[in-house]
Amino acid sequence: MSVKYYQYTAALFALLLSVAACKDKEYAIPEPNGGLGNDVIKRSLGPNLVGQKIEFAYAMALPADKGKLESATVEASIAGAPTTYLEHRSFYTNASGNDVGVEVGAPSVNKDNTTSVSFTRDTMAATLRYFYVVPEEARGKTVNFKFSAKASNGETVSYSMGPYNVSTMDMKLDLKVVDNAACYISIADMAVYTAAEAAAQPDKIDLVYVFRTPTNYLHSILSPGADPQYLPGVTLPAGVNKVTKLVRAWNLRDQQLARLQFGVFIDDLDFQKQGFEDAANLALNLKEEAGLWIETADGKYKAYLFINSVSNTGKTATISIKRYTAK
Amino acid sequence: MKKYISIAALLMLVALAWSSCSKDKPVDEDGLLITTRAECYVSNFELLGADFQTVRTKNAVIDTTACTINVEVFYGTDLKNLWPQFSLVTDAKLDPKITGKVDFSDLANPKQYTVVSGNRQVRKTYKIFITVKQ
Repeated sequence: MSVKYYQYTAALFALLLSVAACKDKEYAIPEPNGGLGNDVIKRSLGPNLVGQKIEFAYAMALPADKGKLESATVEASIAGAPTTYLEHRSFYTNASGNDVGVEVGAPSVNKDNTTSVSFTRDTMAATLRYFYVVPEEARGKTVNFKFSAKASNGETVSYSMGPYNVSTMDMKLDLKVVDNAACYISIADMAVYTAAEAAAQPDKIDLVYVFRTPTNYLHSILSPGADPQYLPGVTLPAGVNKVTKLVRAWNLRDQQLARLQFGVFIDDLDFQKQGFEDAANLALNLKEEAGLWIETADGKYKAYLFINSVSNTGKTATISIKRYTAK
Repeated sequence: MKKYISIAALLMLVALAWSSCSKDKPVDEDGLLITTRAECYVSNFELLGADFQTVRTKNAVIDTTACTINVEVFYGTDLKNLWPQFSLVTDAKLDPKITGKVDFSDLANPKQYTVVSGNRQVRKTYKIFITVKQ
């Protein structure tokens, strides 16, 4: 190949490079379209759980001379639980950082899978919050939302959001376990029982909470079927003998369970991936903010138990549980 | 001009070939540098539980003469799933390697790990004795 071809190729490359490098668009403030406009953001984070809220903020506005807002409607692909609502107040944040609501319409009305608010004030701009309470029907499915607004001049706009996955897991917050009283934990029911209640349904008891004063014991959660030497002074009700698998965890402060500042979330996938091959059957001396991965003896449920708080004087602990049905 | 380019290229090629073939630093089967150091001991020992938190009640006692490590662990520790961590003297390595959780539950037969010195000539086998605090 002659030198000439090389030169041409090089020149072409240089040209291409300079063209690519010069594409530097100037930012321009977007022009309003002059009519009714809208926008949506999702405010809630983390896995969407049945019974919990998914929160959005829906903003809509039009120039004052074009008319006023008439109504705002949200249509969900799966009808939300009856407590689903669209705020009829428009919020702004004041100087102290508090959200202040200004009533702009009548309280929202749920009809089939739509939730709507009719404006009662002469309003040209509003941001309404939408709280979708995930219904049981949505478990393990995806849900879409269509936000729409209507103005008095007949104009309508809409904005689609989603799809959002709804997790199959369940969550139960702030169960109080008390040593020698309500100390029998059922993962199947996600509840805490006393000895008398446990005796009536021994097949549902997966764990027992024990508090003992030695500093190497303190707040402990054990399988009823654990070595009796680790259950000092505990008389288990007849039939309560399951060997539940436990894996200790630390620094895993799920935001929904702990409600602390950490942006960590446990979702279905984490349960699917969590192995229990080398699990223990007891966890002694648990501290506040500690966690436990749990697999029930029959393998039906996997769960994550978080210790929200402990009290040595009260011999109690507050626990929160996320539970995933594996089978 | 063309001649110069080809000569330059040739020179570069030779230089490259030469530099890549010079091997003056010996490495062992793990690709680790074999040095002149003959020191061979464990300087610190740690045991972690399944939650990667320590299970020791106090510092491990390391006897570098008797080649023993004595560790006391918390009551109720799951001895089947412990993650040992050794700190070794510079350039030394451990045999067998620690690749994951280790079962320490057989207290009658303590686990043994061999420290190999930097020059790979000195080998010392440490025994790990675990006691559970009652």
